Amino acid sequence: MTDNSIWDAAQTAFGLLLSGDGELWRTIAISLRVSLIALLIATPLAIWAGYVLATGRFRLRRALIVLLQSMLSFPTVVVGLILYLLFTRRGPLGDLHLLFTQDAMIVGQALIAFPVLAAFTLTAIQGADPRIRETALSLGASRWQAALTLLREVRFGVMASVLNGFGRVISEVGCAMMVGGNIADVTRTIPTAVALETSKGQFAQGIALGTVLLMLALGVNILLSSLQGRGAAR
Amino acid sequence: MNLKSTRSIFVVAIAMFLSGNVFADALRLGTTTTTEDSGLLAWLIPAYEKNSGDSVRVSLGGTGQVLKLGRNGDVDVILSHSKSDEEKFVAEGFGIARHEVMYNDFVIVGPSDDPAKIRGETNPRHVFEKILNGRHAFISRADESGTHRAEQKIWNDAKLKPEGNWYLRAGTGMAEVLRIAHERGTYTLTDRGTFMKHKNSLDLTLLVTGEPKIPNQYAVMAVNPKRYPDVNAAAARRFVDWLLSAEGQSVIANFRIDGQAIFFLNAKR
Repeated sequence: MTDNSIWDAAQTAFGLLLSGDGELWRTIAISLRVSLIALLIATPLAIWAGYVLATGRFRLRRALIVLLQSMLSFPTVVVGLILYLLFTRRGPLGDLHLLFTQDAMIVGQALIAFPVLAAFTLTAIQGADPRIRETALSLGASRWQAALTLLREVRFGVMASVLNGFGRVISEVGCAMMVGGNIADVTRTIPTAVALETSKGQFAQGIALGTVLLMLALGVNILLSSLQGRGAAR
Repeated sequence: MNLKSTRSIFVVAIAMFLSGNVFADALRLGTTTTTEDSGLLAWLIPAYEKNSGDSVRVSLGGTGQVLKLGRNGDVDVILSHSKSDEEKFVAEGFGIARHEVMYNDFVIVGPSDDPAKIRGETNPRHVFEKILNGRHAFISRADESGTHRAEQKIWNDAKLKPEGNWYLRAGTGMAEVLRIAHERGTYTLTDRGTFMKHKNSLDLTLLVTGEPKIPNQYAVMAVNPKRYPDVNAAAARRFVDWLLSAEGQSVIANFRIDGQAIFFLNAKR
């Protein structure tokens, strides 16, 4: 491929984005929908898990923390493989007919986001002053109120964890491809589309989608650093 | 690190470099997912390697994708199945010549309860019309492969435009599309070989064989060294000659799935 055709492909790519090419924008919408619903499911559970691991005093706590941290590097294709085996028609959850649907992808992305969210929440809470919770409890707060007080205190860290989780799932290829099947307008996301378009030699579509992905990543990181800035300035 | 282990790493690196060079002389074959997914390649390639002494490196994709590899000079020889695309490839000077090697047919498969009631039909155009009218789920390869071209031809011949939620576009290989059809209970068009190979793990039934059959013709083309002087033209020529030879043809004819012949010969020199 010559420099010229890279330039041509880039020009076509921006043409596609600006002209509102239907399939391109539907792919972007599917990506956002799957990622956001997955985060909506994973976030409350992960914050709860992070909180319990940070403040609880129980057996296996250290072991669970190590497990959580090693799950951070759990390969997403293995998540895909496990879900595939569970959801296939002849698998234990086959009657749900979930394989190759957006729902299966949402489950996968929620599982992938969970350790990121929980581990970052854990770190944020461990970094907070332990006296916050103790003081709240001694002033007569219920355990529930004490938890909310502490989480309010570390909210920037928690938000950073959500944004990190978003970054992980929006760009995820392996699991999305395996349990979604990369069906156009149904389970095709930005990263799986980029992989497919490149293999087909349709570079313009690939560049357009890659650009959107970069913009999203940039947007999320700008948000992240401004949150951290505000968090630190207080 | 001691001197001895440094030296052994060095030796390994040299060995890898040399074997890499040997590999660079391999024949680069671009072929379609149906030849891989039917199991033919695993049968054919070792026989060719043994006969010729060449080692073969395979790039897989739909016919459109594989021809694109040929247009970029990324493969030496192509075995694919879309006549019009292949003739264009040769006419534009990317391939030397197109030789027909073997054929079988495309069939329409779907869930055994057959909601569109296509079982017993003989005209694929009527089958597609029933599927479209009832908006029954159908999955298309949608990857400019030979199978996708054959499917498009049926829609065109029937003057139908498949559009809507029921018409799924996969953009991927034959085995993967059969798997999606199996999981989601949809209809699809497949080559007979790939379906036969995988049918035991699929809840899909062969519902329609066209009468006359829907042809699936494979052809081989060497990439033109006039376009790309660095292609392995000698090995490409050996491969083409061998496929069309009595020996190559008998290897193809002897390929069986469940005791049934899958590919039929039509090599003409």
